[in-house]
Amino acid sequence: MTSLLNSPTKTSLNTSRRSFLKASALGSGGLMMTIAMPGCATLKNGGLSKIGNTERWDANAWLRIDSDNSIHFVLDRVEMGQNTYTGMATLVAEELEVDPESINVSFAAADSVYRNTVYGLQITGGSTSIVSSWEIVREAGAATRMMLIKAAANTWNISESDCIANKGVVINQAAGHPQNGQKISFGALAAIAATYSVPNDITLKDKADFKLIGKYNKRLDAVKKATGTAGYGIDTELPGMKYAVFSRAPRWDSELKSFDASKIENMPGIEQVFAVNKPSAIGVAIVAKSYWQAKKAQQLLSVEWGDSELTKVDNASIFAQYRKDMSQDSGKNVRSEGDIQAALSNAAQTVTTEYKMPFLAHATLEPQNCTAWATADGLEIWAPTQSPDMAQVAAAKASRYSLNDIKVNTTFIGGGFGRRINQDFVAEAAAIADHVQQPIKLIWSREEDTQRDWYRPSSLHKLTAAVDDSGNITGWNHQMAGSGVFDYFVGDAAPAQYPFMPKFMFGVLESAGKMGEGIIAPADGSIFEGANEIPYDFANINVDYKKSDSGILVGNWRSVGHSHTGFIVETFIEQLAQLPQVKAQKDAYQFRFDLLNKHPRAQAVLKKAAQEANWGTPLPGCTQGISIHKSFGTWVAQIADVEVDANASSDQQLKVKRVVCVVDCGQVVNPDTVVAQMEGGIIFALSAALYGDVTIKDGIAQQTNFHDYQLLRINQAPSIEVHIIESNEPPTGVGEPGVPPLAAAVANAVTAKTGQLFDSLPLKLG
Amino acid sequence: MIQLTVNGVEHSLDVEADTPLLWVVRDYLNLKGSKFGCGAGLCGACTMHLNGEPIRTCITPISTVAGQAITTIEGLGDQGSLSSVQQAWVELNVPQCGYCQSGQIMSATALLAKNAKPNDDDIDSAMSGNICRCGTYPRIKAAIHSVASSNATSNDDLFTNIMADQKPSVMEEK
Ligand code: FES
Ligand code: FES
Repeated sequence: MTSLLNSPTKTSLNTSRRSFLKASALGSGGLMMTIAMPGCATLKNGGLSKIGNTERWDANAWLRIDSDNSIHFVLDRVEMGQNTYTGMATLVAEELEVDPESINVSFAAADSVYRNTVYGLQITGGSTSIVSSWEIVREAGAATRMMLIKAAANTWNISESDCIANKGVVINQAAGHPQNGQKISFGALAAIAATYSVPNDITLKDKADFKLIGKYNKRLDAVKKATGTAGYGIDTELPGMKYAVFSRAPRWDSELKSFDASKIENMPGIEQVFAVNKPSAIGVAIVAKSYWQAKKAQQLLSVEWGDSELTKVDNASIFAQYRKDMSQDSGKNVRSEGDIQAALSNAAQTVTTEYKMPFLAHATLEPQNCTAWATADGLEIWAPTQSPDMAQVAAAKASRYSLNDIKVNTTFIGGGFGRRINQDFVAEAAAIADHVQQPIKLIWSREEDTQRDWYRPSSLHKLTAAVDDSGNITGWNHQMAGSGVFDYFVGDAAPAQYPFMPKFMFGVLESAGKMGEGIIAPADGSIFEGANEIPYDFANINVDYKKSDSGILVGNWRSVGHSHTGFIVETFIEQLAQLPQVKAQKDAYQFRFDLLNKHPRAQAVLKKAAQEANWGTPLPGCTQGISIHKSFGTWVAQIADVEVDANASSDQQLKVKRVVCVVDCGQVVNPDTVVAQMEGGIIFALSAALYGDVTIKDGIAQQTNFHDYQLLRINQAPSIEVHIIESNEPPTGVGEPGVPPLAAAVANAVTAKTGQLFDSLPLKLG
Repeated sequence: MIQLTVNGVEHSLDVEADTPLLWVVRDYLNLKGSKFGCGAGLCGACTMHLNGEPIRTCITPISTVAGQAITTIEGLGDQGSLSSVQQAWVELNVPQCGYCQSGQIMSATALLAKNAKPNDDDIDSAMSGNICRCGTYPRIKAAIHSVASSNATSNDDLFTNIMADQKPSVMEEK
C-alpha cells in the first residue's frame, strides 16, 4: 500500500483555517487528502507545530481515493476494542457521501511515510480519538466531496450546484442537460480533483441532515473478529521466524549477574540462549524453533540476579511511606476555593475517612508480545502497541538501530486499557532480534504479564468534610499520596516527541521531560484527576497531592486517576448523605442533585438515571446505590441494584443484579459503540470493585494468573441498561468514562443494606 | 509423527508429544484464530472442539488427541458464509477487542449443538470458562438467545465450513 503514496510533502504553511488539509495527486491517478488532526497526542498537539519561527506540516491522517474507486482512510491511532475504526469511517462517510463500509480504514505505522519530522506522539489513549477529530475528519470528507463535485461539474460543463454526490458517485442533475441523470464515479474523478486546491469555504452538514452520525450502528470489524481472521500482534507470522521467551528479574531494578543454560542448551529446538543488558530490557533470552520449546526450557534456566532496593517493599511499607510523606508535607495544591482551614475550625462537626486504593493489573486478554526482524538494513517491528512512536523509541534504545532505520507496524490489539502505552515488550523484542539478526516473536506468559505490569498506582487518601449545625457541607478537604504514572513512561515519551534528536540525546530529553512536567507536557494528574474537579457546590474546597513513589512500576489504567477518585469522592459523598441530619432532609440522590446546581448536564444525567432505575424501588432482594462522575468530558451516572448474601463464599457475597447507566458524551457518532463501551467499562470496573488487588510482598506482585487475579465471568455479570442523553455539544470520550462511577454505585448499595462504609477496594463485607 | 484431523483435514505432524494442541494448531498449521490467553485452562481463549466437546487446548498435550477430530473457529464459517453463531455475533456487535471471541463462539456453538434452547443458567454454566476482559457478556448472552430463537441450531447452521460427513459425531445424535 505504501508504494501508492507519495511522501507527504513538508511545506511551510501559514496558519489559515484550512491549513490542516492538503490535497495531492497520486501517481496512479488517485487523490490524497493529507490531514493534520490536533490532540491525537496527550503530550503535544499534532497539526502545525513551530520550531523557532518555522511552522511545519504534520499530517497524521490520510484520506485517499484511488482510480479503482477504493477509498482508504489511514490514521495514526490503533484499534483496541473501542471501535475507533468505525467511528472514523462514519465521520468521513457522512460528508463524503459514501457507505462507511466502502472505506478501508487502516492504522498508520510509525515509519517515514506516515511520520513527519515534527510530530505529536502517536498515542491512542485518554478517550481522545473522536473528540480530537470530530470536526477535522468531517471537513476532510466535505472538502474531498466538494473537489470531486467540482471535477464532475467541469467535466459536464455544468454548475456545481447541479451535481450531487451519493454513494461514491457524482450525479448530473442539470435540468435539460444531455447527460442529465448520468453518474461519474469518485475514482474516475479523483485525478482531476487532485489538481484543485482545497476549498476555503467548507460547510459541514447540519445535525438535522446527518444520515450516519448518531444513527450508524454497525461495527466494521465484527466479521473479522467473529471469524478469527483479525490479525493481532501475537498472530504475526514471518518467514523463518523463531520464538523467544525472556526471563526477567523478579524485581525490575535488579541487575543480571549470571545464568546457567547448561540444562537447556541441548533441549530440542533451542537455538540460542543469551543475556540482554539494556536499561529497558534486562534478562535472559531463549530463542527456539517453537514457543513451547522455548517455554519448557525457560523453566530449567537458572539465573542469578543482583540486589534490589525493592526487597523490603510490601503493601504495609508502601502505605506507611505514603502516610509519612503526606503527614510531612501536603505536597502540591491542585484545587483551592474559599478557606478550608476556617471552614474546618468553624464546623459543628467534621467527618474524616482514610482511603486505601490497591494496585491493579491491566490483564489484557492478549498477553504482551512483539515480533521483530533485524537485518543489516534496519529493524522492523510488529506490535500490539498503543503508541507506535514510543515503540520506535523503545526499539531504538534497546538496539543498535537509529529511529530512521526502525519501522513499527501496528496490529489489532487484544485489549489495551493503557497497558500498551509502556513499551517494555517492544524493547525486549528489539534487543533479542538485534542479537540474533533473524525474525523472532517474543511472547510473555500470563504469569509474566500479571507480575510485570505497569499497575494502576496504589494511593492513600484522607478526606475531611466540615458540616454545620443544619447538615450543610461547608468544607471539603482531600489530601492524597501515591506515585505518578508520568515518571514511568516519560523515558520513551520524551524522545518520541523529538525524533530528529540523535540517540545520545535521549537521556537529556528524558530528564527534560520530567523536569519540564507541566511546562512542555501536561501536569501528571494520574493520582488526583477527578478529585480536583469535584463538581459539588461547596464554599470551601481544598485538594492536595503529595507525590510519593513506591518504586513499583505504575502506568495508565483505563480511566487513570478517575479509576480511584470516582470511588473515593462518591463513597465519601455517600457517607455525608448518610449523616442523620442530612438524611432527615433528603435522600442520597437529592443530596447530590442539589449540590450539582452549577452543572445542569450532570443534573440531567443523574435525574434520568433515577427515573430509569426506579430509584427508591430496588429489584426484589436488592438495595440500590447511586454514583456520578465526569471524566474525559463525559458525565456518567450509574445506579446499581445489589443483593447482599453474607452467607455465601467470600467472593460471591455481593451480587450485582443490574446497573442502569446514563451517559452524556455530547453528540454521539455511533450509538451502539457508546452502549458497548459503557457495558464494557461497567464490567471492567466491576472486576476491580469485587476482586482487583495486586499485593506486593518482598517487592514482588503476588498474583500470577486468572485464578488469583480474578476477572468477572459471565455468571457474575449484571444486566446493564444504558441510556444516552441527546445532545448537540461536541463529542467527548466514551472508552473510559463508564469505569469511574461503578465501584461507588455498588458500594453505596451495600451501605444502604448494611450500613457498612467502604474505605478500600476491593469491596469486602465487614 | 502424530496424526490429527483439524476441520476435516488430516495432518501428520512431527512435533513433541507434550506440545499443547493450541500451539500446534496456531504455529504448525498456521490457523491463528484460536488464541493464547492464560496457558492454564482459566480463560477459554484457546477453546476448540474435540469430537464436539469444547476443550481448553492450551493444556491439552497433542499426544492425547492424536487421531481425533478437532474443530477450530476456522471450521465454523468464514467471511463469505458465517455460521449462525458468528452471524448473531456480527448482528449484535458482540466483539470489542475481539481477542476472546473465537473461544466464546466455540463454547457457544458447542452449547447450542447440544441444547437448542438454552436458558440463562445453561448459558452461564456453559460460558463461564470463557473470560472476556472487554466485558461483552451481556451481548454474548443476547446473541446465544438470538440464535436459539431463530432456530438456526442445526449442524448446517452451526458449522457452515465443514463437510457434512466430517462434522463432529455428537451432532448427529441430536
Ligand atoms: S489460553 Fe487456554 S484457557 Fe486460557
Ligand atoms: S472482546 Fe476483548 S476480551 Fe472479549
